[in-house]
Amino acid sequence: MSTQMIISVMSKDRTGIVADITGAVYELGGDLADLNQSTLGGYLTMILFATFDEDVSPDMLMQKIDTIDSPTTLDVVARTITTAPDPALSELPPKTYIMTTQGPNRKGLVYGVSSFCFEHDINILDLATTIKKGIYTMVLQLDLSRVESIVEVREALADYARDQGLQIVLQHHDLFKVTNEIPF
Amino acid sequence: MLRSDQILATVEMIQKENLDVRTVTMGINLLDCRASSIGQTCRNIEDRISERAGKFVETCNFVSRKLGIPVVNKRISITPISFVGAGFTRDDFVALAISLDRAAAGVGVDILGGFSAQVEKGLTMTDREYIHSLPEALRVSETVCASINIASSQKGINMDALAMLGPTIKEIAERTADQGGFGAAKFVVFCNQPGDNPFMAGAIHGVEEADTVLNVGVSGPGVIARSLEKLISAREADENGLKLDEIAEEIKQTTFRVTRCGELVGRQVSDILGVSFGVVDLSLAPTPKVGDSVGEILHILGVDAIGAPGSTAILAMLNDAVKKGGIFASKTVGGLSGAFIPVMEDAVLAEAVGKGDLCLEKLEAMTCVCSVGIDMVAIPGSVDGDTISAIIADEMALGMVNNKTTAVRIIPVPGKEVGESVSFGGLFGASPIMAVRNVGKSSRFIGWGGRIPAPVHSFKN
Repeated sequence: MSTQMIISVMSKDRTGIVADITGAVYELGGDLADLNQSTLGGYLTMILFATFDEDVSPDMLMQKIDTIDSPTTLDVVARTITTAPDPALSELPPKTYIMTTQGPNRKGLVYGVSSFCFEHDINILDLATTIKKGIYTMVLQLDLSRVESIVEVREALADYARDQGLQIVLQHHDLFKVTNEIPF
Repeated sequence: MLRSDQILATVEMIQKENLDVRTVTMGINLLDCRASSIGQTCRNIEDRISERAGKFVETCNFVSRKLGIPVVNKRISITPISFVGAGFTRDDFVALAISLDRAAAGVGVDILGGFSAQVEKGLTMTDREYIHSLPEALRVSETVCASINIASSQKGINMDALAMLGPTIKEIAERTADQGGFGAAKFVVFCNQPGDNPFMAGAIHGVEEADTVLNVGVSGPGVIARSLEKLISAREADENGLKLDEIAEEIKQTTFRVTRCGELVGRQVSDILGVSFGVVDLSLAPTPKVGDSVGEILHILGVDAIGAPGSTAILAMLNDAVKKGGIFASKTVGGLSGAFIPVMEDAVLAEAVGKGDLCLEKLEAMTCVCSVGIDMVAIPGSVDGDTISAIIADEMALGMVNNKTTAVRIIPVPGKEVGESVSFGGLFGASPIMAVRNVGKSSRFIGWGGRIPAPVHSFKN
């Protein structure tokens, strides 16, 4: 038997963080299944799956990471998981949509839009935001697999956008793929 | 995930820059609808169109909503009607037009094209009857568009057919005088007419095609114009300055994106309907809407008046860059694929006519380097039929010698002269009447008849 672990790391960004963390995993005999990292405003966050021998525990991994001579604070959480990560879940579902919302910056914009998604059983797969000249832009990658009627969601979204004074556009992910990617 | 800036660029193309899929056109073979009587033939045609295209509009709307991109027009093209109606009389052809009009309305398409004939080498009795039917057929039908191919690089120009067309166009316009001669806007004369063009009025379902095919026309002069404005303003402070080859590259890349959207829509619609996908036609087809103009692109690229020296060169570069960007983006490219300069449908071109900047001769020169030809040009109703035939002859010669498609869609507006205007509304647009010089001086030429032989470079076998 082996131990599956999910590990999350947050730190001020610097060179060598990925090498430090994956080095600790390697030294404990771990096998890295998948890794995703992102940076925002000078900070890094990373999530990774790893498989260890049965006798390796999350505490042992945390202790190993504590021994790293890091100039930044590494906030790390490690947990064992009972089911192995499903590679199929990393694939985009057929009903992947992109929603872009734009409007004057104010508090609660992300909260409002994400609540709209929650109320309509829409899962947010990815989200990026930018602010430029006082205009707040959100780009959300959404899974609409559980939505029965795209027409009804569009109507509800149009009402929501009007009430909130936002410009919201919902388009299928394929449209962005074909305009920005060359297929292999 | 795709980068946010890529996503926002695409959203901007669709929301602010008028990117849409201009037309999805379903081509339907009608050859086997021919029966021994006109009544039964009409019934067969209406059954065929309703069977093939019954769910066509609904499916286009579904894909449009699903993807979040507008599909502006849903159209049908059919086998050139002269083949289907072989042996019929002019009255029978009028009955066919009425039947097609009813079928188009039944399935909810905007326009139906293919009330057509192909006579580039010779005229049959049927072809003559077909030509004689045109004025009445286009008066009694609303959605039916007609076209005729009278010339090709392989066969030359059929001057007998051509001589009939000037007076026919005048007659078409006069029968629809209450609508400013609108009937003539539904009739186009071709050299080298393609069998898979999805744009009207010249769409046909060529006899070389399969039973049912979907062709898509993408457009987007507005998208190109906005992307060029952005590029120019971003590089204003650049000490090296922006050069034309960089501008051509920008047009190419923008066209790539536009074309990919059209291909996506077309393939999804054809998958749902179980119909084979034909081609993407990458044409910059303007609409009268502000900001959706080919003329505006010429302005942006440096001529202060449309028709000023340099206009032809800019158009040549634009047309070529559009083709290059689109060819890589689509698996199958066909139709006309280039920049259109339909005067009435392009507000900036129409304005140039009003100011006297753009004359017929310059327009003719511009058609040498773009698709399609002298398109949607309103001329005085007093211009005689032979002069109209001769205008067509010149345009046909350009296409024949240069191995390209050229066409003429000209409207002799009844009772109107230079200084007045005509408006058809909607996508057909409006324009001041364009002057025709040297009227009445080409009759001896048109009187010869016969054929202009194909040019020497057509002998390639």
